[in-house]
Amino acid sequence: MKNLSLRLRLMILFVGFSCLIWATAGFICWQESKEKIDEFFDSYQMLLARQMASADWSHVSMQTQKITNKIIKNIKNAEDEDEAIGFAVFNADGKMIFHDNENGKDFTFRPEIGTFSKQKVDDEWWRIVWVKSADGNFYIAIGQEREYRTDITMDMVEEFLAPWLGGLGLLLVLTIIIISREFSPLKKLASDLENRLPDDLSPLTGKNLPSEVRPMIEAINRRMAQIDDLLQRERSFISDSAHELRTPLTALKIQLEVAELAGNDQKMRQVALQKLGIGIERSARLVEQLLALSRLEAKQAQNEVFEQIDWDNIVRQIKDEYASAAAAKNISFQEKLAVPAVIHAGNPVLCALLMRNLIDNAIKYSPEGAVISIELNTDHIKVINSGAHVETAHLNRLSERFFRPAGQKENGSGLGLAIVSRIAGLYGCCLHFANTSKGFEVRIEKENI
Amino acid sequence: MRILLIEDDRLIGDGLKTGLEKLGFAVDWFCDGLEGEEALMQAPYEAVVLDLGLPGQNGLSVLKNWRNRGRNEPVLILTAQGDVDQRIIGLNSGADDYLGKPFALREVQARLNALIRRQNGQNNPLITYKNITFNPQTLKVTADGKDVILSPKETALLKLLLLNKNKVLSKEAIENKIYSWEEEVSSNAVEVHVHHLRKKLGKDIVKTINKIGYILGEE
Repeated sequence: MKNLSLRLRLMILFVGFSCLIWATAGFICWQESKEKIDEFFDSYQMLLARQMASADWSHVSMQTQKITNKIIKNIKNAEDEDEAIGFAVFNADGKMIFHDNENGKDFTFRPEIGTFSKQKVDDEWWRIVWVKSADGNFYIAIGQEREYRTDITMDMVEEFLAPWLGGLGLLLVLTIIIISREFSPLKKLASDLENRLPDDLSPLTGKNLPSEVRPMIEAINRRMAQIDDLLQRERSFISDSAHELRTPLTALKIQLEVAELAGNDQKMRQVALQKLGIGIERSARLVEQLLALSRLEAKQAQNEVFEQIDWDNIVRQIKDEYASAAAAKNISFQEKLAVPAVIHAGNPVLCALLMRNLIDNAIKYSPEGAVISIELNTDHIKVINSGAHVETAHLNRLSERFFRPAGQKENGSGLGLAIVSRIAGLYGCCLHFANTSKGFEVRIEKENI
Repeated sequence: MRILLIEDDRLIGDGLKTGLEKLGFAVDWFCDGLEGEEALMQAPYEAVVLDLGLPGQNGLSVLKNWRNRGRNEPVLILTAQGDVDQRIIGLNSGADDYLGKPFALREVQARLNALIRRQNGQNNPLITYKNITFNPQTLKVTADGKDVILSPKETALLKLLLLNKNKVLSKEAIENKIYSWEEEVSSNAVEVHVHHLRKKLGKDIVKTINKIGYILGEE
C-alpha cells in the first residue's frame, strides 16, 4: 500500500470506505425497516385479534365455516394481495372450532395470552398472537407468515438503497476522474523535471498546482537555487583558475623557448633555465593554493575537526620556516599571544595554513628591516607589517580570489588572503584590512551577527 | 628593429626581452604603464608589445593616449583574457593585433614581423633586393641563393635598410633603431656593421651619402 501511487491509494481508500458506508447504511436501513414493519403488522394483528375477540363464538358451526370459506375465497380472488394472515379459533379444550380455511387451520393450540409467539406451520415460521374471547371461553389465534414480513422489509431496503448504489457508482467514477485530473499538474511537473537539461536549474513554476504541494515546490526551488549557486561558483572557480594559470604558463613557455634559442650561449641558457625553475615553482604554488581553496570551498564548519589550537606552537613553527626569508630582508617579529584566542578550537592544519599565509604575505610585502607584529587575543588575530601600505582602493578587494594589484614584484597566486578569509569564515570570523600608523594591518575577528 | 615592450610580469617580460633580442630585435622593456607610455615618445620604435593589465596606467589607456597623440606605431596587445570582448576593445582602441595568453615567443616574433612589414607597405614576407633575399622570421639571408651568415646586429641593420629601401638613414637613426637603451654603442659601430655587410653581400649593397648617412637603393 505504501508504495502505491497516491492516486491509486486515494481511489482504493475512497472506494473501500464508500462501500463500507453503503453497507452500514444498508444494514441500519434493514434493521429499522424490519422493526417498523414488525410494529405495524403486530398492531394490525392485535387489532384483528381484538375485533375477533369481541365476536360471539358460541354459535359457530360447520355451516358457518363453509360460508366463511366461500367469502374468503371471493375476497382472495378479488384482491391479489396476500397479506399472509391466518387465524383460528379454539375452544377452552383446545379444539379448533373455526379457521380461515388456509394456513390458520394448521395452527397448533399453544395459547400464550397477550404476547406474540413463534410457531412452525407447514414448514414456515409464523408469528402468532393469542387472545381470549370476550366471554372467556374461546382462544383466538391471529398469525402472519414471517417470510412475508421479511420480503416486505427486503423490498423496502432494496428500493431505498438502489438509487444509493447507482449514486455510489457515479460517485466512484467521478472521483476517479477528478483525482486523475487533480493529479495531472503533478504528473506534468514530473515529466517537465524529467525532460530538463541536466544543468537547467531554473525554478519550477508550479502553475495550477494545489496549495498543499506549494511548500514542496518552494523547498525544491530553494534547493535548486542553492545547487545553482554552488555550480556557478564551481564554474567560475574553474574558469578563474584556468585564466590565472595562463600567465604562469606563458612565462614557462617563453622561458623554455629562450632556453632553446640560446644555442651555444651557455650563460643565456643557464639564466633561462633558472627563470624556468622560478616559473615552475610559481605555477606549483598556484596549483597548491587552488587545491587548498577548492577543498575549503567544499568544507562545512559543522563537520570540521575541533581541537584546541596551540597558537604558540604554530607561530613558532612558521617563524622557523620563514627564518631565512625574514633574515634576508632583515625583518624581525614581535608577538603578543594571549589565550584563549578568538579562534581557540578548530582544525590545526587549517589554522596553521591561515597563519602561514598571513606571515608569508607580511614578509613578502614588507620593506627591508620591517617589524611584523602578531597579536592574538579573545577579540582578534592581528598581523601588522610596519612600513607596508596598500592603496585604499584595493583594501576591500584583497580577499577576493585572484585579486592582485597590478605590478607586483613578488610571486603570488592572489589566493593567499582568499584562503585566509575562507578559513576565518569557517570559524565565524571575518577579515578586515587597514593601513594604520603602525603599518598594514590584517585583523581577524568574530563576525557581527 | 627596436621594439618597445611593456609587460609587468617579470618572468614573461624577461623572457620576451631575452628571446626577442636573440631573434634580432632591440628591446626596451618597461613594467609600468606610465613609464612605458612616455618611452614611446623618446625613441624610434618599429613596433610595441603591450600587456593590458599594467600598474600605473592600464594598457588600454596607454594605447588610447598614444593614438590621441597621433602615434601610429603598430601595437601588439597581450591579453590574459580569453574573452572576445577584451580583444575587440583592444583592437577598437587602436591595437593592430592581439595575442591571448599563453602564447609562444615565436608567435610574438611572427606577429611583430608581420606588423612591421605591413607598416612599411610590404606584403611579401620575404624581403628581396637585387640578388639578396631576407627572411625576417628565420633571419636567414641569401645572396644568389647561397646562405650568408650575418651577426645579429648586421642582420638588424640589413633588415632596417631593406625596409627603408631608397631612403637615406642617418647614423643616429640607425643606432637608435638597432640598439636598445642599455646597450653600449661605440662611436664607429654603424661604420663597422656597414663594412661587414659590404664584405659579405657585395660592395654596392649600401651607399654612403656623405655627411648624411647610408642608403640601400637609389636616392
